[in-house]
Amino acid sequence: MRAAGPGKIGELRLGFSLRNGRSILHDLYRVAPLLVQRALYWDEAMPELPICSIISVGGGILQGDRYKIDIRVGEGACAHVTSQSANRVHQMDANYASQHQTVTLESGSYLEYLPDVTIAYRDSRFINQTDIVIAEDATLLYGEMILAGRKHHHAGERFGLDLLSVAVSVCRPDGRKIFAEKVLIEKGDPTVDFPGVMRGYDAFANILCLTPPAVAARIKERFETSFALDSPRAISGVSRLPNDAGLMLRAVGVESYDVRGELRRFWRIVREEARGRTLPQEFLWR
Amino acid sequence: MMANGGFGTRGGASGMVHLARLLQFSDSTLPIGSFAFSNGLESALQTGVVSDPESLLNYVDLVLRQTARMDGVALLHAHRAALAGDYGAILVADSELYCRRVGEEQQLMLTRVGKKFAELVLKIMPSPTLERWLGDIKADATPGCLPIGQAIALAHMGVDESEAFVMHQYAIASMILSAALRLMRIDHLDTQRILFTAQGRVEGDYAAVRDLSLDEMASFAPVFDVLVAHHTTTHVRLFMN
Repeated sequence: MRAAGPGKIGELRLGFSLRNGRSILHDLYRVAPLLVQRALYWDEAMPELPICSIISVGGGILQGDRYKIDIRVGEGACAHVTSQSANRVHQMDANYASQHQTVTLESGSYLEYLPDVTIAYRDSRFINQTDIVIAEDATLLYGEMILAGRKHHHAGERFGLDLLSVAVSVCRPDGRKIFAEKVLIEKGDPTVDFPGVMRGYDAFANILCLTPPAVAARIKERFETSFALDSPRAISGVSRLPNDAGLMLRAVGVESYDVRGELRRFWRIVREEARGRTLPQEFLWR
Repeated sequence: MMANGGFGTRGGASGMVHLARLLQFSDSTLPIGSFAFSNGLESALQTGVVSDPESLLNYVDLVLRQTARMDGVALLHAHRAALAGDYGAILVADSELYCRRVGEEQQLMLTRVGKKFAELVLKIMPSPTLERWLGDIKADATPGCLPIGQAIALAHMGVDESEAFVMHQYAIASMILSAALRLMRIDHLDTQRILFTAQGRVEGDYAAVRDLSLDEMASFAPVFDVLVAHHTTTHVRLFMN
């Protein structure tokens, strides 16, 4: 595949498991442009956590790209998967790009899968489908942050995308479906600037915390809804998912880092309640 | 448009009874408990998302659009399943809708009103399918979402799917507007004007969703979603949501 060529088929498979009491990355298969090197243990507040950063050597998502990501966390293991930088979905004049993710959490496992913000450039078409299978006693923190285009680059960028579809579906290991959601934004959606939709904000996030009901109740109790009337940088709140699936953090903000601030506030509580570990200070360069 | 005689034509006594019953089932005073819900309006007012008649119209418009693309799709599928006698497909529509509902008050609104609706209908007319569905709700075998109950009852009464869709959308709009009367400075004339205007979108919404599969139920209203979370944490409130 030539550099920056469209129509790439990327594949990534990550498997974490508990070996001699330690969580390790035991399975790694990758096809460029998706790349993971090795798991590192650099979280000072949770030193047992293997951390993988997904690197895309393709410079962003182009038309015709097809990505497949599979993450599996074995019984009792923990892991953190993130991405190296913003996921840029480039302008397209033909075709579309897609990403299909499967995430499996076995009994007692814990995964934080928090990719960086997705920026949908104008005229881009991107479909992201995530299928999750999670055991009743496992915890998954997963979500997508979306920025409405390169807002400082061009006036037509803000929600100038052609189509963005972000869908997630959650099942128990026996196949019972417990939660599903699809966010669909199409070009020319007349409601984008309604006060009930974006209210002039440019970034939003839907962050799932799939966790047992007792943990969910403690997290919800601690998270303070933020919805100040005096034009805050970000608003957010936590809602209960159906079928005892867990919680959902909804956040809307001016810039992606404002939304990320709300995510970190939630993330710290989730980690403390689910794993008894806190969150380290954020790096200055993030 | 009507299957059996209908408006505009003379005579057609069955058409007249049909219309009368449509009106009865569309009445906002139908005792199923929807008066306890504002569909997020209470939080929308407290946070300034809605502040006057114009922003209220805008809010109703948005909720109708969202509802059509979620509940409306499930309603149409359940209606078709009821006509086809496919009870399994009714249950699928019920659980697919429920597993997309975020927020405990939203879940409660959907299922508490759904169950009360089924109980009410069974008091006034027999419907074997609805009776079976209510039995499954009581046995925790299905969640019991309101649009599914409406679809079963209306299909049983010979109401076609576009009429059922209109009735469902009307009920949502009138629920919000009757809550508005109790929550904000607005009079009955303004709410009627808003209702009249908002109803203008129903045909477009139906056309947009009638061919969608259950998997295609979708939404996009991030601020509304935060409002849903906001309401459960508010201490002073009149409505369930």
